[in-house]
Amino acid sequence: MDTKDLSRREFLRGAAVAGAGLAAAACGPTPAPTAAPTEAPAAAPTETAVVTPVKDKIVVGMSRPLSGWNATIGDAAFRPIYETWVPMVNAEGGIYVEEYGKKLPIELIIYDDKSDVGTMTRLTEKLILEDKVDFLWPASGTAFIFAQAPIATKYGYVLITAEGGATQIKDMLPSLPGVFVTLSFSDWYQLPVLAEILAAKGAKTAYVSYIADLHGIEYSGVAGIEFPKQGIDVVGLKSLPPDIKDLSPVIKDADASGADIFCCFAYPDQNMPACGTSMELGYNPKAWVGGPGVNFGFYHAAFGPAVEGLMGFTAFARGSSPALDQLADTLYEGKPEEINDWWGHPYYWAGLDVWKAAIEKAGTLDQEKIRDVIASASPENPLETVLGPTWFDNGLLAKETHPGEIGQWINGVFEVVGPTDKATAELVYPKPPWPTG
Amino acid sequence: MLTFLNIAIAGLLLGGLYALIAMGLSLQYGVARVLNISHGEFIMLGALTTYTLYSVAGINPLLSLAIAGPAAFALGYIIHRTLFKRIAASSESPAIFESNSMLAAFGLLFIIQNLALIVWGPETRGYSYLAFPVNVGGALFGANRLVTLGFSVLIGLAFYLFLARTRMGKAIRAAAQDPETAGLMGVNINWVLALCFGFGAAMAAMAGALISMCYPVHGVMGIEYAVIAIIVVVLGGLGSIPGSFIGGFVLGLVGSIVAYFEPGLTLAAYYGIFILLLLAKPTGLMGK
Repeated sequence: MDTKDLSRREFLRGAAVAGAGLAAAACGPTPAPTAAPTEAPAAAPTETAVVTPVKDKIVVGMSRPLSGWNATIGDAAFRPIYETWVPMVNAEGGIYVEEYGKKLPIELIIYDDKSDVGTMTRLTEKLILEDKVDFLWPASGTAFIFAQAPIATKYGYVLITAEGGATQIKDMLPSLPGVFVTLSFSDWYQLPVLAEILAAKGAKTAYVSYIADLHGIEYSGVAGIEFPKQGIDVVGLKSLPPDIKDLSPVIKDADASGADIFCCFAYPDQNMPACGTSMELGYNPKAWVGGPGVNFGFYHAAFGPAVEGLMGFTAFARGSSPALDQLADTLYEGKPEEINDWWGHPYYWAGLDVWKAAIEKAGTLDQEKIRDVIASASPENPLETVLGPTWFDNGLLAKETHPGEIGQWINGVFEVVGPTDKATAELVYPKPPWPTG
Repeated sequence: MLTFLNIAIAGLLLGGLYALIAMGLSLQYGVARVLNISHGEFIMLGALTTYTLYSVAGINPLLSLAIAGPAAFALGYIIHRTLFKRIAASSESPAIFESNSMLAAFGLLFIIQNLALIVWGPETRGYSYLAFPVNVGGALFGANRLVTLGFSVLIGLAFYLFLARTRMGKAIRAAAQDPETAGLMGVNINWVLALCFGFGAAMAAMAGALISMCYPVHGVMGIEYAVIAIIVVVLGGLGSIPGSFIGGFVLGLVGSIVAYFEPGLTLAAYYGIFILLLLAKPTGLMGK
């Protein structure tokens, strides 16, 4: 036994030495990273180097929630967008970068942050420091943006966000010059529009239930400001814990309040049972608003004809513009309805369009110059995206570029009903009764 | 009076589901000594299977109980015979087995969850079934929720009778009390433990099927139910099946009472009860 053991160990040792030798040999001819340990850029000008710098791809790094609680959001929101957008751009050879005199294809490095903010921050730093990616694409969710944006700023990276946005980020943006927020949110510019279109139809009172987190507190707070501005009284306010199971006390309370408008500013885990419970209890207010959630195709798939009249947040519908119709075809044609997201998808897509347009305009991969191109875009000098002429307003996607804010399920389609000048259908108020049977 | 009825029935409706989930975990943790963190994943599998059968094939969700339950039983049984039996054999003491098996259950959680995300995708799903109001003494409740309560109680009682009245049930109770002695008395302990694990998985899947009738379902829904199950099992007393059953209803009622005043405090109330109980009676409601 001993001899056999020894010989095996010897064999392994021999193999390890041989392997190490091979590895060393393989590494030999390639440019050893240790050769230039200084801070000097890779293409340091030497006496002979007056040639175009060499680069054959644009490496983009992302920390995404591929597993864990946030995976359902990340996988349904930004993931289908970059998984469609990148192959489309690469099929045309990539993005033309003048500095290199050619088109460069995009290569993605994606790490799983397991839905953990701490892991995401470490992975973001790893992408920047170890992988030395050319660009950073966003993590998923408002809390993640709050954590990622300062890191991107610290290392001078441009960050165009996808999922997430909040009023509080407005205050942070002046100190984050390279961060651009694409998604619309409460006072940018959803709830002012919601209050306006409902007041125009004669709504006088509202009952607001909201999830007890950053999202819900923000939306209920903004509703508390925007509804009264339009003469709508908030007659009831109830917070919901994220793990709430039984919503019947809330729905019964809302029913007793007799409010014209019922709001459920929470996620599908709360507003789907809220919808189901409303239906079960026969609670049918004149306007039923919920989100995020109502804007997804899966709401229709889950509730069928019962979605008629439900309102939520949105960006576009078929008919918003030819370019957006084309986007809907590209993303949704021939696929199950569940994957439709009428609110987020066009903004995430536009974010990537902005990034591409800015690189082409800047003619370089230099973050600073690309940032300047995006920041200096304006109504007179816009960047072209799927939304049409696009620019940012103090780091937020300008509200003039939003194709819509408020949606409503009408005849099985999530139509844009507000603002009225961008509506694809007229708001149905009061909402029709729940289907019977 | 109407308020009282509203709160009480809402509590029972929630409690029924909690009881069923907790009984399943109680079998796995209390008897088979596996703190099965992946318990929630079996709930998720049951829920998504029921959803798929209903939306694709139009199969009645109540019928799915009879499909999801046995399928999960088989899965749980096989997992115990292959994975946990091996870990038990290689663990030096019950304490080491408990920690090792919990780690394996963590792995199982990620495997099942990610497989589900591949199969069903990340979207939240749901369907409407029996979504109409029923008047219970003036208090209105959805018919689907009352049906879930009925089936939870039915399954719980049936299982209790199985444990209390049958020979196999006696073997399970013996294994819960003292696995070593039970083994010496001729109980095939590995078989009984695998059965318990299988029954636990079956209850989780059936609870999942019932949950899908009222709540949205998705690939990562499991863990929050698993956490509730752990609270209830400790509340009811480790290894006591009736304790878990009663504990589930206690937790449901507490949640309902607190939710009437402030829904945001329900989870805090759960943990409050949990802490109080650990201080006052660490063995749980029915623990010995």
